[in-house]
Amino acid sequence: MKWTGLSQLLILICILAGGLFAFYYVRPNADLQFTIGTITSMAYVLWGIIHHALKKDLHTRVVVEYILMGAIAIVLLATILKT
Amino acid sequence: MTFFGTLVHLFLPHHTNNHRSRILHIDALAAYVLLFAVFNFGIRTLHRSMPDILGYATDIHVEQLLASTNAKRQSLGLSNLTLNGKLSAAAARKAQDMFEKNYWAHNSPTGSTPWDFINGAGYRYTVAGENLAKNFSTSDGVVEAWMASPTHRDNIVKSSYKEIGFAVVNGTLNGEETTLVVQMFGSSNDSIAVAPTKAPIVPKALAAAEEPVPTTVPVEVVPATAPATTVASGNPPTAFLGVTLRPLINIPTLTRDIVFVFAGVLIGVLILDAWVVSRKRIVRVAGHNIAHFLFLSAMVIAIGWVNRGALL
Repeated sequence: MKWTGLSQLLILICILAGGLFAFYYVRPNADLQFTIGTITSMAYVLWGIIHHALKKDLHTRVVVEYILMGAIAIVLLATILKT
Repeated sequence: MTFFGTLVHLFLPHHTNNHRSRILHIDALAAYVLLFAVFNFGIRTLHRSMPDILGYATDIHVEQLLASTNAKRQSLGLSNLTLNGKLSAAAARKAQDMFEKNYWAHNSPTGSTPWDFINGAGYRYTVAGENLAKNFSTSDGVVEAWMASPTHRDNIVKSSYKEIGFAVVNGTLNGEETTLVVQMFGSSNDSIAVAPTKAPIVPKALAAAEEPVPTTVPVEVVPATAPATTVASGNPPTAFLGVTLRPLINIPTLTRDIVFVFAGVLIGVLILDAWVVSRKRIVRVAGHNIAHFLFLSAMVIAIGWVNRGALL
């Protein structure tokens, strides 16, 4: 099966929708929300790496960019949930 | 570089920024992570040293909690709960115990259950229950959150309860400033005898008293036992009647505003960057802007659902 860009984007949408659903479901438990946000961010980083690997344009700076995007999401969630 | 040139350099793909908006470069992204980490640390430190200036606005009081709880019951055709001094004393002792032993649970680390506190206050119950909340900013917020949680809602709308007690107190839990709300429900043989006889309610209350039925956590139906040796006062302690905090800067409002503005700018630049790259057919090594946009948008939606408060 050939993984097209659209199907990969659909997978990402499913990951994010699942994360959002879980995030909403556990409210108002802030600790669990933070855990779900962190797991979703990690899943996003993994998705980004796989996506670019399949596109054969995976470079170190792309990996770092996805990791930093995930880290930004986590630190923003920590700002809201942990301060 | 002119002012316009600087804006282009920061926000649009251009030859001066290697065709990637400067604020999306890897070193810039790393700087944001670091800045927010420092900001979070700074907020916590400042809050500890100057809680009157930088703190959590709180306005939770027993009379408001009682009114909101009874309003919810009335809307479902249930009778009002009466504020009981012994149940309030039990709730106050429970809150005190949570701060002293540093736990956030229905049962203490030493094995004390909510029913031990109720018995300890001298309330001889036939049915009892407990709801906990922490770090909400208003009384209505607490009751609305309980109503949105099926198990807590079950307690609030349980027809067999006749009396209620509250404790609202501020303290330090797990190293964090925490406003605890303990809500204890009960029905005793005395309260059943004196309860107003409303047709749909009383039969259920009596049935519960005669034959205990399994209920959801955190409700328990057990026969009342003799009061424990530490009998608390029957009057609700005044120190536990409410918490009002009005800091100059409310931390949740401040952090929320900053996070939304930052995420909004980042999302806007990602869209702009993607549009220019697509229009100019620029080939470059970078992450997927649409993916970043979707991810950050999902995060912004999630942050919109965040409530600092927690229930148990």
